[in-house]
Amino acid sequence: MRAAAIPLAFLALALAACDSAPVVTFADASITLPDDPIELPAGPEPGRTAVLENCTACHSPSTMLQQPKVSREKWEGIARKMIEVYKAPVDPQAIGPIADYMVHVQASQPPR
Amino acid sequence: MAGSTLTRRALIAGAGGAALAAPVLAQSLVDLGLPGGPSLRPLDPAFPGKGEMIVQRIRPPLLETPMDVFREGVIAPNDRMFVRWNWDMPTAVKAANHRVAVGGAVNTPVSLTLDEVAAAGETVEVVAINQCAGNGRGLSEPRVTGTQWGNGAMGCAKWTGVRLRDVLAKAGVTEGAKRVRFAGLDVPLTDGAPQFIKSIPMDIALRDDVLVAWAMNGEPLPLLHGFPLRIVVPGWFSTYWVKMLSTIEVLTGEDDSYYVAKSYRMPAAPITPEDKDFATVPITEMPPRAFITSHADGAVVAQGQALTLEGIAMGGAAALARVDLVGDGWELPCTLGPDEGPYAFRRWQVTVPQVTANLAQIGVRAANITGAVQPETLAWNPSGYARNVIERITLRPQ
Ligand code: HEC
Repeated sequence: MRAAAIPLAFLALALAACDSAPVVTFADASITLPDDPIELPAGPEPGRTAVLENCTACHSPSTMLQQPKVSREKWEGIARKMIEVYKAPVDPQAIGPIADYMVHVQASQPPR
Repeated sequence: MAGSTLTRRALIAGAGGAALAAPVLAQSLVDLGLPGGPSLRPLDPAFPGKGEMIVQRIRPPLLETPMDVFREGVIAPNDRMFVRWNWDMPTAVKAANHRVAVGGAVNTPVSLTLDEVAAAGETVEVVAINQCAGNGRGLSEPRVTGTQWGNGAMGCAKWTGVRLRDVLAKAGVTEGAKRVRFAGLDVPLTDGAPQFIKSIPMDIALRDDVLVAWAMNGEPLPLLHGFPLRIVVPGWFSTYWVKMLSTIEVLTGEDDSYYVAKSYRMPAAPITPEDKDFATVPITEMPPRAFITSHADGAVVAQGQALTLEGIAMGGAAALARVDLVGDGWELPCTLGPDEGPYAFRRWQVTVPQVTANLAQIGVRAANITGAVQPETLAWNPSGYARNVIERITLRPQ
């Protein structure tokens, strides 16, 4: 193990105060995250709308759009995993159209 | 994100293993060189407190470090460290209201303020690499689903905090304790979905260098990196480095929670993409890795001249022992730079006396002091975890 060292920012504090003084002071923190424009490429309906309505609550569309090309069965499997594991409120009727749309989008993607 | 600097920087940005410093095709897109695509990623929108990052996902944030950052030094500045959240992250934390509950198999469950955590023991500083278990997943062949990272889901920083064992001592661990589990403020959006909680074995929890950290490179942890506190387990993948720490729970048995028992697991023995049923083990310790940062794939070098290559390497769960430049039927030992500790990146350098040989598919191979060495071929696994195959590039003598 490397010897314990107190970084400069905290050292000043530690030296300035008595033994029982905190080694660090914690301030409140907040952040404003950038907007997440929910944009999906054109594609077959009702699949595109089904993806918009069922698949964008928990994550950006890039989660779907950046995946490597996989089979229709795999897309159905992913949708089922979302329902079973992550409790995604997806209408089972929508799984087929969602898979159709994703397969279409992946097939029309440029090679890069 | 500022316009003109972006364009210039973007041209040298690059990312991804095989295609380190790959060409940028448009002003704000970077090509990660992922086989078969989709491979282009935006460098925007900008996130507060972050510099230029590869935006894999806006929500929950997944930001990848461009490979040029690793050219500049072994420490990733806070504004360039990769960011990874599984579920939505809280966007505000009131320091005075924050508590860390320590419970489970303890003598006295306690609820600690931030000041109490910070005063739990000696202040310790550790330099350690934070690397996502799925770093480089997008480079897997055959490809696998999940976050499609290039090789930039890693970064080395100085972490400051107190030892986890000193925080545990505030509650007193009872006999028979087996694991310590951590939870943060990030919770699932849906009822019944698994919370992102992770546990480590007791012997790891009691290590000298396993921390409850509040600072990264001498600055308070940014919210994106887990303010106010995160776990630091040097040598282990960052999935265990739970952010926005709010609960520490001592377990007396195995951990059957989703992210330990079902997810973040590797085949127990090597498999092929055709294998379906196989035993798995949790992904834990990091293997050695090395990267060329001085040259991009496809770069032109001077025929007949000396050529110096540079980069970074890591030993993983143990100190780096050596780095070799490897080509087709030849290898050259590299000189290692300053040692920042066993869990830090270390720079390496090597000079090829005269460029005559074929410089196709050259790579650097790291080995650590336990004898772990980077393999020639990818240890493929369906989740794309723990990539550490030798990353190769081709240089073009002219
Ligand atoms: C209840 C929340 C929720 C909903 C709704 C949801 N997902 Fe997910 N999804 C997740 C979580 C959590 C992950 C893992 C996130 C991570 O690793 O960062 C994930 C990951 C993914 C991934 C990455 C691959 C993987 O298996 O991890 C894909 C692809 C994906 N989701 C597709 C979908 C599709 C298609 C839908 C609509 C049918 C959907 N998701 C709806 C929560 C959700």
